[in-house]
Amino acid sequence: MSQRYYEDTNLDDELEPLERTPTTDMAIDFFGRDNPTNPAFSDIEAGKRLGVGGALVPGLLKLSWITQYVSDWAGTEGHVKNLRAAYRRPDVADRPLVLGGRVVDKRVEDGKHIVELEVVTLADGQPSTRANVQVELPAKG
Amino acid sequence: MSVPEQSLITDEHRAAIGVKSDPVKVVIGEVDAHRMRDVLEDKDPRWADGTGLAPSYVIAGMGGGPRRGMPQILPGGLLTQQEWRFSRPFKIGEELSAVSQVFDIRDRLGGRYGYSVLVTQGTEYFDSDGHHVASAMITITQFDPKSQRKGDE
Repeated sequence: MSQRYYEDTNLDDELEPLERTPTTDMAIDFFGRDNPTNPAFSDIEAGKRLGVGGALVPGLLKLSWITQYVSDWAGTEGHVKNLRAAYRRPDVADRPLVLGGRVVDKRVEDGKHIVELEVVTLADGQPSTRANVQVELPAKG
Repeated sequence: MSVPEQSLITDEHRAAIGVKSDPVKVVIGEVDAHRMRDVLEDKDPRWADGTGLAPSYVIAGMGGGPRRGMPQILPGGLLTQQEWRFSRPFKIGEELSAVSQVFDIRDRLGGRYGYSVLVTQGTEYFDSDGHHVASAMITITQFDPKSQRKGDE
């Protein structure tokens, strides 16, 4: 994990795409097998009853991946401060998702060096989640 | 269910808007934090074993969270919007106080379900000194699965 600095970050910089494949086991293990979750996360038929077409990928899992994706991009001295996500389409388990992102703003706010990213999850090339993420990066100065 | 002739949002539902819940104690558990980290194969050294810190996405599994006390107006529901805000890292074992409230309830005509209700609810987490640690806000789109437009199954 390399460290990213505010001064080295430019508008329209793109994050390297990352593929993740959500599974039903992953969804259940993430929240804990003893904890109650939406049956549609593990049961294909329950997902179909919701109109999803298969087992539903939890939005919380996708937002957690986005958090991890941006944290890894920022490096250990960076801090994700805020994430705002819109779930545009439900995702179905066992279908790969590609995370991608780009820098859309950078500014100094109250002495903090803030970079704003747009991050998406793509399913079959179409955005299923769109997120805006604010991350605080260290400055070299 | 077909499209209702009038809103299913009642005065009782509206009365819930802006009312803060009683605080609920939430503990950042080591087992939960490590399990979530391991499922994501997160190798970030900041929350490695022994650091005493938990990744921020543990908020996804925290009890006392946004769905607690959310009005259920229609039987189906999908998470459609979400926001997380972090003031500082979570510490393993710390006890937080969670306070939730409904921010908005509105209905919508159109879309794949014909009629749906959007409920936005948020939870703020405070430490034992009363300092803000994190917030989570969600919007659930509630619908009746039986009203789904043909071809969307």
